[in-house]
Amino acid sequence: MSSGFIKGIFGLINRGDENKSDSSYLTDGDLVQKFVNENNQAALGEIFNRYVEKVYGIALRITGNPSYAEEVLQEVFLTLIKKAHTFRGEAKLSSWVYRVTVNASFMHLRAEKKYESNVSLDNYVPYDEKGTLMGKIKAKDWSSRPDIIIFSKEALETIEKSVNELPESFRIVYHLRDVEGLSNEEISKILDLSVPAVKSRLHRARLFLRDRLSDYFDEWRKIS
Amino acid sequence: MLCKDVVENIMGYIDAELDYETLNELEKHIDMCPECMAFVMTYRRMLELTGKLKERTFVTPEVRNRLKELLRSKLKS
Repeated sequence: MSSGFIKGIFGLINRGDENKSDSSYLTDGDLVQKFVNENNQAALGEIFNRYVEKVYGIALRITGNPSYAEEVLQEVFLTLIKKAHTFRGEAKLSSWVYRVTVNASFMHLRAEKKYESNVSLDNYVPYDEKGTLMGKIKAKDWSSRPDIIIFSKEALETIEKSVNELPESFRIVYHLRDVEGLSNEEISKILDLSVPAVKSRLHRARLFLRDRLSDYFDEWRKIS
Repeated sequence: MLCKDVVENIMGYIDAELDYETLNELEKHIDMCPECMAFVMTYRRMLELTGKLKERTFVTPEVRNRLKELLRSKLKS
């Protein structure tokens, strides 16, 4: 690989959004083809710019460790450069990148045997055995609080911390769906899960997070 | 319909995927049940709040620079 080519990529990786290239309007598939077929540096730089935050964010969510997340980020982009020629247009680049990221992140997690959650969500429900909500939801209703409170920095930190309390298999489903905005079908393919399994994990994760937020806002109400 | 059914159908309700009959029964229950009304409203607000997590950025210039250096060394070798 020529030094001019390498230099070109690095210039593009470092570039901010304010200097978008002509490649910014192309689809992921077009960018890969331009990179593979034409050795197009701008195309590769654009792919990096599109995915660097997503890859790092997923890796950080799974591993819970910035150092591991950075290692995963590096692995994924090295793999991307090495394997770009094998990418076929019918697949979505995003799904491929997410899958590589998830696999690399879980490998780090297994190797380190760290960041395991003590929370069990398999049977997590807010209702009692009779199927009623037991009068606890209304008592802690925070939905009409002003936006300035609900979207406060502290509330965001609370939800971030609560997400990280989720067991890993729930945490990654939640992140891909509610943070990255992928469909249940895309997540099922990336994680090799059935769509009902994806929905079930997302459902339990959201119930847990709603409860955590209710506790937080209830505490906030008591002290304010 | 029980509160449990509202909870277990909340994703379908939010995503507008429920059949007409289930939707109708669910909305009737919510209208009559303050607990379920509060549950649905807080669930919606939670989704608004978690949506804000998308706007956060984590990759620092240092992380980008280290990525650059690694790729440079790997591609040269």
